[in-house]
Amino acid sequence: MSGRFDDLRVGDEIPALARTVTREDVRAYADASGDQNPLHQDDDVARMVGFDGIIAHGMFTMGHLGACVAGWAGDPRNIERLSAQFRAPVFMGEQIVAGGRIRSVDATNRTVVAELWVTVTRDGNEEFAIRKGEAEVRFPDPADAS
Amino acid sequence: MRRVNPAVEGKTYDPVAFEVTEDRVRAFQHLFGGPPGVPPTFLTAAEFTVFPQVIGDPELGLDFTKVVHGTQEYVFHRPLRVGETLMVQPRIASIRQKGGNGFLVIETQMRSIDGEAAAVARSTMIERESAR
Repeated sequence: MSGRFDDLRVGDEIPALARTVTREDVRAYADASGDQNPLHQDDDVARMVGFDGIIAHGMFTMGHLGACVAGWAGDPRNIERLSAQFRAPVFMGEQIVAGGRIRSVDATNRTVVAELWVTVTRDGNEEFAIRKGEAEVRFPDPADAS
Repeated sequence: MRRVNPAVEGKTYDPVAFEVTEDRVRAFQHLFGGPPGVPPTFLTAAEFTVFPQVIGDPELGLDFTKVVHGTQEYVFHRPLRVGETLMVQPRIASIRQKGGNGFLVIETQMRSIDGEAAAVARSTMIERESAR
């Protein structure tokens, strides 16, 4: 990873990360996070509020985005800030794709700010499940490594 | 019609202890993958230990059946450590009405037992005027 920060440029893309959302994973996420809202577990409840079936937690989708960013950052400890705007629901069986692009590079502090998103393709159209997300990542100087 | 009460802006709730257990961290790692360490959205589990206090606060008057998650932000003051205990304290940072919807920002401070700031989580909850 030595010298990696010096190679980063504004406009560079963060490698995209895809996954398919399953009922089992959303169920496991409810237990891991403690968010037991039935909207994410019970199709009848989801239909009552106008969805065709259960939707993933927004934080499930952001968790996937976090893994995408952490993979790029090399270590989750390098992430100093992570944000997201939830824009569209994600249904079971759909594929979500997380990605991002470098918006600014601060050479003095060895930090990078990246814009982030998560897309989902539905009925042939690409929609944003998350958009206007942002990460601030610090790339430690390998010379400072203890 | 029931509406979230703007007078509650600024209200701080009691802190609750939350342990960053290895089991819980592993559950997040297992679900999302990524490099070793505490996944960046792990603190959602800490937020959910205190949200029932806020969401169920009769003074706030939130109709949770109409709530959707609008935005989420985590700011880390230092890396999280597996095995540490965080004191998790939510505060109603702001309440706004816009276009018939209520926007509630819950800002949750995470501190070490000795008071050192570890992280802040900001969640915007949108109370929609009507169900979807």
